[in-house]
Parts: sequence; structure tokens; C-alpha cells
Amino acid sequence: MSTTRRKFLGTSASAALIASLAGVPKAAFAQSVTPVRPLTLYSRAQAANPQQYQAAELIAQAWGDLGLDVTVSGLPQNQLSDVVWYNRDSWDVSMWQMVGRPERSDPDDFVSNLFHSANIESGYNFVGYNNPEYDRVAEAQRLVVDRDARQALIYEAQDIVNADQPYVFLVYPTKSYAYNTTVFDEATLVNQPGLGIKNFLSFIAVEPLGDQKDLIMNVSNELNAINPYYISGAGDSWMTELIWDRIMRIGADGLPTPWAAQSVTWNDAGTEATIVIREGLSFHDGMPVRVEDMIFSLESPQRAGVAPMYKPFVDPIVALEKLDDSTFTVTLAQPNAAFETSTLSKVNIVPEHIWAPLLDALVEGETAESVLEDSRIGSGPFKFDRWNQSEVVLSAIPDHFAAAKVERVIMRVVLNVEASLGMLRSGELNFLTDYTGDPELLMEAAAADNQIAVVDVTDIGFQFLGFNCRRAPFDDPAFRRALSFAINRRLIAGAAYNGFARPANSHVSPALPFWYNAATEELPVGIDVATAMLEDAGYSIVDGKLNYPAGVTEQY
Amino acid sequence: MKYVMSRLLYAILVLWIVGTILFFMFRLMPGSPLAAFIDQTTTLEQQQALIARFGLDKSLFQQYTIFLQNALQGDLGQSFFHRRPVTEVVMEALPNTVILTLSGLVVAYIFGVLAGAYLAWRRGSAVEGIGIPLALATRAAPEFWLGMVMLAFFSFHLGWFPAGGANSVGLEYDNEWRRIFTVDYLHHLILPVLTLAIYLQGLPLLLMRSNMIEILQEEFITMSKMKGLGSRTIVLNHAARNAMLPVATAFALGIGSAIGGNVVVETIFSWPGIGRLLVNAVSASDYPLAQGAFMIITAVLVAMNFVADMTYHLLDPRIRHAASN
Repeated sequence: MSTTRRKFLGTSASAALIASLAGVPKAAFAQSVTPVRPLTLYSRAQAANPQQYQAAELIAQAWGDLGLDVTVSGLPQNQLSDVVWYNRDSWDVSMWQMVGRPERSDPDDFVSNLFHSANIESGYNFVGYNNPEYDRVAEAQRLVVDRDARQALIYEAQDIVNADQPYVFLVYPTKSYAYNTTVFDEATLVNQPGLGIKNFLSFIAVEPLGDQKDLIMNVSNELNAINPYYISGAGDSWMTELIWDRIMRIGADGLPTPWAAQSVTWNDAGTEATIVIREGLSFHDGMPVRVEDMIFSLESPQRAGVAPMYKPFVDPIVALEKLDDSTFTVTLAQPNAAFETSTLSKVNIVPEHIWAPLLDALVEGETAESVLEDSRIGSGPFKFDRWNQSEVVLSAIPDHFAAAKVERVIMRVVLNVEASLGMLRSGELNFLTDYTGDPELLMEAAAADNQIAVVDVTDIGFQFLGFNCRRAPFDDPAFRRALSFAINRRLIAGAAYNGFARPANSHVSPALPFWYNAATEELPVGIDVATAMLEDAGYSIVDGKLNYPAGVTEQY
Repeated sequence: MKYVMSRLLYAILVLWIVGTILFFMFRLMPGSPLAAFIDQTTTLEQQQALIARFGLDKSLFQQYTIFLQNALQGDLGQSFFHRRPVTEVVMEALPNTVILTLSGLVVAYIFGVLAGAYLAWRRGSAVEGIGIPLALATRAAPEFWLGMVMLAFFSFHLGWFPAGGANSVGLEYDNEWRRIFTVDYLHHLILPVLTLAIYLQGLPLLLMRSNMIEILQEEFITMSKMKGLGSRTIVLNHAARNAMLPVATAFALGIGSAIGGNVVVETIFSWPGIGRLLVNAVSASDYPLAQGAFMIITAVLVAMNFVADMTYHLLDPRIRHAASN
């Protein structure tokens, strides 16, 4: 009769053997080991995010094989946020996701914010990961302007995270977008790395082929706000970036390029940018875009309580100075390699003549996010027309320097994902920008209808499981590694995501090939691997229950 | 008059109880309105300031008192999510929901009454053998499934109707009434109304049929037959009129309950109504909006109940007599 290491570890005899090998008397060992408490694995509700919920169930099953008692609890998004984000000491493990955005085509946002210890209390580091070595690398990559040197630091950051596994990275989802080939010229769509064809550049470049001049897209959630100081949701952001210009934009190559600025020039130290604004730019109410407006746009989020979401982006700025009517300087306390991407390509240019009085009128506790500006005046290639419960309508500005080829962008709120696919086929939509249904159905629809083309892209964002590193046993990197390596990412990508995902083990997506550390893919997985790692770290499985190392007691 | 006053007081009591339950229910639910309202990077101080601005820093009893005072003045508060008065947000969506609900109910009840009367008259026939199981099946079918079948067949397959929304893409109207009184609006309305009507027709059909079966046993029906009246006259003029009283009550109550029960139909057809608002308000912990929307639904239901009571009081001398005693 053969006995595998896993089966052997699951018996009391194994515990006794481990104890005797460690020089601990059998009776003392039996008294000192404490089983790991039952765990609740939080996830989005099954109906809201079936893929995430199914992945959570697969993980619970795998951990069950290690002797853990895991219950999956599906919650609506806001309740999940309440438990995981706002009560940071109260949970053990939770499913979560980070979404791709244009400014995340630079790895700084994820590398600096997710795991830096400064963000443990109320920032993005909600898992409470604290590693001074990681902090050092994350800070250093910001200061290095040389791309190759910075690449080495970004690789190092990924190696540290791989070793410590504060997250179990699961998959980089494949996003699918579809459009009507009889309405739009395929060659004019821009496929941006990590974002696909649904991006700002596509919306201004795409050329209609016939009489249909409107780009009609969908969003599967109700909109929250269309406000230049508020990043309130995915669909909301798509509208915001079309209405308000930015000093720079992320180009088709994923790199920042001057937009509302004619040029952005840095001094040798990398601490001062001289920005020359583009000539002839005007707001949708006819007023010119001035240097003062750009300075106001960068300065106003720095004020306390005005725009909490934008404040981190402008915090590195220590001075803003107007040189003449077309030039101003931005001074930073230290070089910041990601500044162009995460600040100059992110902050919306707002008209000072409209927003200065609005911000002055804010009362205690109010932020710019709560301001309802009816006119929504920007200087972007589209102006705001209207927004009701069914749709948002924007009209193209013909004399914009990057005038769109379509006449209007209309975003329809379609809550029923199957209906959105049907609407694409019936012509009620011509650009499927938010499809969360079964990707197989979309592929079948495209195969059956030669007017529909589907474009897939690996996301910059990722799905993951977060360990609460503040709480034992998740404060032990060896324990986290073992649990992470028990999970079969390929199974999750295949079963939960129908193959429309790529296994993940890094916070930098392969959608950013220059920054992605492919060595993180070498991931040994399996229950036997995980069991051996637990065994090496002193954990034991006794009578099918996973126990802490001898002498370590349960704290919760 | 005494009867009217007692029913009115009863209606006010119901509204107060429902309002109180709603107030405490939403605040005891897990989840914070801040989670949907502010960014995850907002500092703790900023969160506290927002809590104070929403009045959530006051004791629950204080919040309740303010809520009651405002509700009595018709002020249902500001929506956390939309940052506009709740009444304004609800009133924007209400016409769409009322039109959808009333149309669905009218179609369901006209069909249900006629089909119920016919099936009672043809009791024991093959028509009844097919009609009753069919009515039961459509009544029991999940609304979501029914809606998806309607969409798949009439919209995706035949292409007769649009798949979602209340108006065609990008159309702009001067005012709400002009938007509603268009062929385009009617075109968008048909599929959701049909779905709702198919889902709702079971109750009036079965109610009408059972009432009719009872009434057809009455002596005055035998008398009518002996007088030589035609089948159509007996069924429509004598039996059906008497059998319709409970159906009329069910219709009045159905208006109230159907307004609140349109969440599924509104979601399937992306119909911009109160049901969608409700789902969004509950999931975003938008207390004022959720409370306001539920209160308006309750008010409609209570008002319809009141109307039904009054109608009974006027139509049925036995109730009038009992009330006066």
C-alpha cells in the first residue's frame, strides 16, 4: 500500500512524527498545536460577478484539501467595500479586482500604490502588506528617469511581491469588444495596449462608412456622475475623458504624448517641466483655454478636501508658475518617472471662470465631487448635450484640433447583457463597449453575423485574492505562498472565465510587455507542492485540519 | 362619513408604519452609503465630514425625527447617489413606470376577464383543457425568462420591436409629454407591456373563471336561460357583470403592487422607471432614494386600497350596512 505525503500529513501519526523529529514530546505537541480557524472568503455576489464567485469556490475547494474550512460569502459591491475596505481589521481573505485605465499603462500606479506601507491605513494597500524593501524599490522606480534602469526596479518589485504573495494574482481577463463593420472603417480603430479598441483615440479617429454618423455604445451600469473632479465609474470616465481635455494623453504606443500642450520639456534634473499650451484651444462656451486654466486645474485638487480622488496625482507638485500667456512651469520636489502618465495625462483641464466660484461655494464636508454642474463645459473633442436614465449624448466639436469623424457619441444604459448583444445585431448599438456576458456567445454572434467583428485584448487590470496580512496566519509569507501555490490558475482561467483570461502572478500585466517580468510565470502549483511548503514552515495537517506550527496559538 | 374617516386614518397609520420600517430597515442593512459615494482613497477625516453632511452622525432617533418631519412636508430628502431631491429623481421615472404598469394591467385584465368568462362558460370543453394549463404556466413562468423569450423572438429574431429603452437612440424632445406621446415611445412600450400582461393575466383569468362558475349556478341565470336569452347576453350582461366585482378590487390593488414589482421587466428591457431606480438605490445604500421610492409605491398601494374600500362601500349595500352598524 502506498501512502502519499499529503495523505500521510493528514493523519495524527504524521503530527507525532513531525513532533518527534523536531524534538518535541508527543503529548506536548498534541497540546500545543492550534487549528486554523474557519475562514470566510468574500467575493462579489454570484449574480453580479459569476466568474469571480466561481473562482472563489474553486479556491475554497483547493484550500479545503489543505485542511482549511473555507466558506465563500458573496456580497454586493458596496457591502464588500464596507467589509474589506472600510473595516480593514475585520476580514481574512477576499476576492478583488483592479481595472485597467489609460494612465495605468505606466506601472507606477499599481507598483507604488498597491503595496506601499504608506497606504495601509486608508489607501490602496488594503491588505496591509508591509515590507520596507518593497517600499524602497517602489519609491526608487519613481525617481529613475532612465527606462532600462527603471525596468530593472519594476522587475525587482514584481520579484518581491512574487516571493511574499500578499495577493494571489489569479487572471488577467481578456476583454472583448465588438463593432459593426458596415458602420465603421475597421482600419481607423485604434487598438491601445491593455485597453483594446474602446479608448479615447478610437472615439476620435474612427471613420463612419455610411449614413450612420453616430457612435452608439453601451454601458451595463447606471451612471453615477459626469464630473471632471470625480472618478466615479467606468462609463462615467469614458464620457469625462471625451468632454475635458488633458495636458497630455496616452498614445497608441501606451506612452504619454502632449495633447492640450504643444510641448512638455523637462530640465536635466527631471524636477521641472516647462509646458507650452496649444494655440487656439477653447472651451465649449467659447472662452479660450488659458495658462491660468491649466494652472488652476493642477492646483485646485491640491487644496484640502476639494478633489480627494485627484489629490494623490497632484501631490508631487510643489510649485506652478506662469511664464507668459502660453507657457508655465510645473516644479516637483523630486523626479517622478510616472508624472506625465499619472498626472499630466490624468487631470482634466477645467475652466477657471466656471469652477473657481463653484469651489469657493463649497461648504464644510462638501467636495467638488458633489457639485452638479449642468453645463459640463470642457475643451475636449466632444461637448456634453444631455444625460437621462437611458443615455448620455455628446456632440463632436468640428473645429477641435483633433475633431472626431463621428457626429455624436451616444452611450446607452443597457442593464441586460444579453439584450446588449441583441442590440448590436439589430443595429440599436454599433459598438459593444461593455460586455460582461459569456464570451462564447459573443464569438458565436460574430460567426453568425458577418457584420460584427470582435477584438480581444488582455487587460492591464487583474483579478486577485487578497490576504489580510495584518492577521495570523496571513502575516506569515510562507503560509501565503503555500496557499497561493495550492491554486490552479489555469483551471480558474478555463472554468471560471471560459478561457477568456490569462493566468496571473504579477501586479504588472503582460499587456505592458516592457515592464512585465515574465519570470513570475514560473509558478509551481498543486496541493502536493503547497503541502510540502506548509510542512517546511512548521504547519501540520492533523485529522484533516490544518494547524499552526507548534506553540503558535490562534489570535482571532 | 365615519367609515370614510376610519379608512383614511387606517391608511395614514399604514403609511407611518411602513415609513418607520423602511427607515430602520435600510439603516440596519450591511453596507455604508459612503462605500458607493466616495473614493476608496478618501481620508478618514473626509469620510467623517461627509457623514456629518449626510446627517449620519446624528443618533438614529434624531435622524428618524427629521425624516418624519420632512416626510410630513412632502420632502423625502436628497439622494446620496444622484445628489438631487428624491422627489425630483422619482418623479422623472414615475411616468414611465405608471404608463408601463397601467398598460400592462389593462391588457392583462381585459384579456383575463374575457378569457376567464369564456372558459367558465365552456367548462369541461377541450378549450378549457388547454386554456387553464396555459394560463397557469404563463403565470408561474419566471418574469425574467418570459421577458427574455419575448426579446429573443420578437426583437432579435423577427426584428419587430426594439430591445431596450423607452425611446430610440439619440432622439431629443422638448418636454416629457411630447416624448411620451410618440409612435416611437409606443413602439418601445409594446414588448415590456406584453411581458407584464402575460405575467399578470393569470390572476384575473382564474378569479373571473371561478366567480363565473359560481354565478352560473345561480337561479337568476337559470331564469335567464328559461326566458330564452342568448348565451352571449347571459354571459356578458348578467353573469360577467356580477362576477367582476372581486376582479375590480384585484385590479385596484394590482396597480400598487405592480408599480413596485416592475424591477425585473424594467431591467430586462432597460426601461427607465422606478424599479431600476430602486435596485440602484438599494445596492448603493442610497437611503433617502430607496425610502422615497418605496414610500411612493406604498402611498400608491394604500391609495388604491382606499379606493377599493370606497368602491366596495358604494357598490355593495351589505358593507355599507355593516359599516353603519
